[in-house]
Amino acid sequence: MAALVWRAALAAALVCGIGLLPWLTRTDPALTVLKARSADRDPTPQVLADIRAQLGLEQGPLRVLGQWLGGLWRGDAGRSWLSGEAVTPAVLQALGASLLLMAVALAVAALTAALICARTLWLGAHRRLDGRRAGGSGSAVLAALPEFLTASVLATVVGVQLGWLPALGWYGPRWTVLPALALGLPAGAVIGRLLDDLLPGAFAEPWALAAAARGLPGRSIARQAVRRCLPGLLPNLGLFVVGLTGGAVAVEQIFDIPGLGRTTLQAALAQDLPVLQAGTLALVLLAAIAAGLAALTTRLLVGPALRDGALSSLHRRPPPVRRILPIAYGLLLTVVVALGLPRDPLALDTGERLRSPSVSHPFGTDALGRDVLARVAHGAVDTLVLALAIGAAALFTGVLLGLVPRLSGPLVDTVNAVPPVLLALLVTAVAGSGPATPALAVGAVAWAPLAAHTSALLRQERAALHVAATRAFGAGRWYLLRHELLPAALPSVTRHALLRLPGIALALASLAFLGLGAQPPSPEWGLLLAENQPYAERAPWAVLAPAAVLALLGALAVSAAGGVRLPRRSWPARTPEPPSAEEPSPTKELVGIR
Amino acid sequence: MRRRHILGSLLLAPLLTACFASGGGSDSSGDAKEGSRLRVALAFPPAENLSPYGADATILSRLGVTEGLTALDANGAAAPALAASWRRENARSWLFTLREATFQDGSDVTPSAVAAALTHATEAKPAPAALSGVTLTAQAAGDTAVRITTTAPDPVLPLRLAGPSLAVLSAKAYDDKDRVDPVGTATGPFALTKVTGSTSAALDRYDDYWAGRAQAFGLDVRFIADGTARASALRTGEIDIAEAVPVAQAATLDGATRKETATTRTTSLLLNSASGPFKDAALRAAAREAVDTSALAEGVYEGYADPGAGIYGPAVTWAEGKRQQPAGRARAGDPDGMDITLATYDNRPELPEAAQVLKQQLEKAGFKVALEVREYSRLESDALEGKFDAFVLARNTLVDTGDPVAVLAGDYTCDGGYNIAQLCDRNVDRAVAEAERPADAGRRQDAAMAAEAAVLGTDAVVPLVHQRLITGVADSVSGVLLDPYERTLVGTGTRR
Repeated sequence: MAALVWRAALAAALVCGIGLLPWLTRTDPALTVLKARSADRDPTPQVLADIRAQLGLEQGPLRVLGQWLGGLWRGDAGRSWLSGEAVTPAVLQALGASLLLMAVALAVAALTAALICARTLWLGAHRRLDGRRAGGSGSAVLAALPEFLTASVLATVVGVQLGWLPALGWYGPRWTVLPALALGLPAGAVIGRLLDDLLPGAFAEPWALAAAARGLPGRSIARQAVRRCLPGLLPNLGLFVVGLTGGAVAVEQIFDIPGLGRTTLQAALAQDLPVLQAGTLALVLLAAIAAGLAALTTRLLVGPALRDGALSSLHRRPPPVRRILPIAYGLLLTVVVALGLPRDPLALDTGERLRSPSVSHPFGTDALGRDVLARVAHGAVDTLVLALAIGAAALFTGVLLGLVPRLSGPLVDTVNAVPPVLLALLVTAVAGSGPATPALAVGAVAWAPLAAHTSALLRQERAALHVAATRAFGAGRWYLLRHELLPAALPSVTRHALLRLPGIALALASLAFLGLGAQPPSPEWGLLLAENQPYAERAPWAVLAPAAVLALLGALAVSAAGGVRLPRRSWPARTPEPPSAEEPSPTKELVGIR
Repeated sequence: MRRRHILGSLLLAPLLTACFASGGGSDSSGDAKEGSRLRVALAFPPAENLSPYGADATILSRLGVTEGLTALDANGAAAPALAASWRRENARSWLFTLREATFQDGSDVTPSAVAAALTHATEAKPAPAALSGVTLTAQAAGDTAVRITTTAPDPVLPLRLAGPSLAVLSAKAYDDKDRVDPVGTATGPFALTKVTGSTSAALDRYDDYWAGRAQAFGLDVRFIADGTARASALRTGEIDIAEAVPVAQAATLDGATRKETATTRTTSLLLNSASGPFKDAALRAAAREAVDTSALAEGVYEGYADPGAGIYGPAVTWAEGKRQQPAGRARAGDPDGMDITLATYDNRPELPEAAQVLKQQLEKAGFKVALEVREYSRLESDALEGKFDAFVLARNTLVDTGDPVAVLAGDYTCDGGYNIAQLCDRNVDRAVAEAERPADAGRRQDAAMAAEAAVLGTDAVVPLVHQRLITGVADSVSGVLLDPYERTLVGTGTRR
């Protein structure tokens, strides 16, 4: 009940925040509406006054908001300030298209995740997992793929050049394939990576050994292992459901899909508040439903075990890491940066535009004849430092808030459901457009999936036998947290945070058009990708180079994070000293037995 | 169990279809017609439900749905449309004689219907752009004529009436108090039959069009905002005509498919002459001399633009012959590492690129340049308040009315509503006032060119390029109307 009230309060705060947005940012809605209607029209005072009268803006923000809320009870979300059309049917129509796209994308994501976990599943089901480390670089590269890049490559190559599938429109099942691929691949890579992270733990549990000894087929063991890991992922899956529904702006644009992402983006830019409020409310509602379903499914899957504290820890000490991979990736990245740093990233020569890679320009040149290698290298420092800083802050906040799931759960869903542009506008409204604003705007969402992940893992961990045992020996809450719960969840969440680093770099660049963040001609990586996107077909190197280094960063982060582990307790000096906690998880015993 | 599955899929099917966009209305036409319907992709989705009073009016006019009393000919002069002829009765009053025509709903185009339509336009809030600054009244005069009077003398009234927002619609269009409905109520060769939000529209030809039936049976229009997507749609053969192909995508189309038109859109560098470094005319002159316009036309616009010649480009056909050299320009000073901010917007993808090239050119001359790129609506008020030292703006020089003087008055006079250059110069104001007076087209043009020279003489504006519009037209299609004023696209002779 309390959670419901908290959730409703958040939604209400959000709607009110949107309602006050123009007054907070001091951006006249009459002006933005006029420009969205007709960019060439001169904003004379008379015209602006007419629009204000038409929209009823003179009554002040509170009256406007009150009227909108009054109509909401009857399912009437008002009329669009832009077009004058009823909002409810338009938003529902867009929501339908977006939900369908999300559903197909989720299917693609499931398939991708299955492929990524296939090796671990096969090895685990045949009990050959011990001592092997899953690769992970492939999925990290996939997770780092910017959606708009995949989308434009798919549209150009599969849609236009090969002509296998329609390149744009939204008229039937055939039209869903390419956009769903562009959205589903990176999402599936993240989910697959998280699942792959948990699977070895599940396979090491006693039941798996017993099942194998009983002669159950590997297939059913694998199925049970997935079932065992799913509860830890469900909250994140819920976030993806909402994120893919409302945040697929780039894909919707490239494939010309009349979805909710584009609708809310346009409404946010034009400050078409009724549409923006309705669209956001729909997404927040969807988020609540997704969270509810995730909780329900968790209960169905592991409910009794959670209640009775009968789970074993999914987290065992990771086997030795292959040190060679991160070193190789790191070296490659360093070499690229070192080669590019002596070059000038800003010197443009329009006579040399869009040249393919050659000796003088190893990565080719961009649309203004600048050396792509130089730009990639010079952008590395800015991009990496900022992305790492935001990533670290997000990890800290995420873990902290993940500890208090009752408070953070609804907050996570709500924040995740807010369209990124809107969130940036809200942050700008509060923080002003200073140099830290873009980082704040990106950081304001980046923590959400990490918090969801943390709380999901902790929830299971709290039900683990070793925690019960430790508690039985009189350990306090603080002791439990520091020595049992956090060490179990942190490595996994940290790897998750690193997996999302490239996404943070891209999100930063996507705010540039609001005048936030890096401005051209800065060679920041996200900006590089965005400015070269129109030339993706004619000069693929100009987008592939930054995309490749971004993917390399992802691979480096994930492979290096394989070694992330916290020092477990040091035995002798600790009080209270729980003797049986010597073996914190039954997994270890099992390894010993074998 | 099986039955439940079937039931489920039966329920699911309509739900799923509802989630897809409905096609461009092609379902309304039979198979025989299918072959000669044209498929058109427009760049700007209707923002106001195809209201004829805003920018959507251009969509209606480009698709051959609406017409006004007059139209613009290739030289930018007023040509007959619904009015067969007109004459000026006195300084404030004009008499337009209508031709015999019918509305798409079957009713006749009568003087009272025309007067009512124009009166509705004058009462619209906000007023249509073509009517900004004038008050006119329209009244039926006899069986075939309409008398239009203005409160102040308006020498460009026939040009003004060519504006798409002053289209003539039948009485039925105004039935609804809140909005004007152009579906089946206009007079053009094509009639709207179905509009699907801002995604698509279907049109059938209007058989009784006064200038003869159109050759195409109808139009299936899709609004595709993304330029790359429009080009792809043309390349896959999904559409026949793609409006406004971005420069970056032009090279991916076949040479024969690309049709270039010079437009009245001029991209210029506006220098803030009221505050900051460019208050100094010598520094403005230094900036002007630093700019290499042909590098922009070739390097950024890939040759789909002409180097800046003046405020009016080659699309304004009479301008070149009447151009006067600006006099009284200041001598270039030494920038000496002066810091300036150069702002532009990313709604047109070439502008940030042009700004980056400009940045380099200005830095070579000794300025230190910081760029500021934002979405246009987030930039405009700051620009109008003069917060930037320099601004790169793409501006239609024959705004709304087709009158060359309007842009000078709005953008470069002390009282101008769109004066980003913050220019307030007595000579310029006098020259512009001079140009607003003559009614005769030739003399008006002469005066406009004199005013242009006065504006250029202040160096507050440096014309960079005159953009060309690239329209993608499939090989099988002929008769597309490539219009420098961007008011027509499909006409009676357009066909496949």
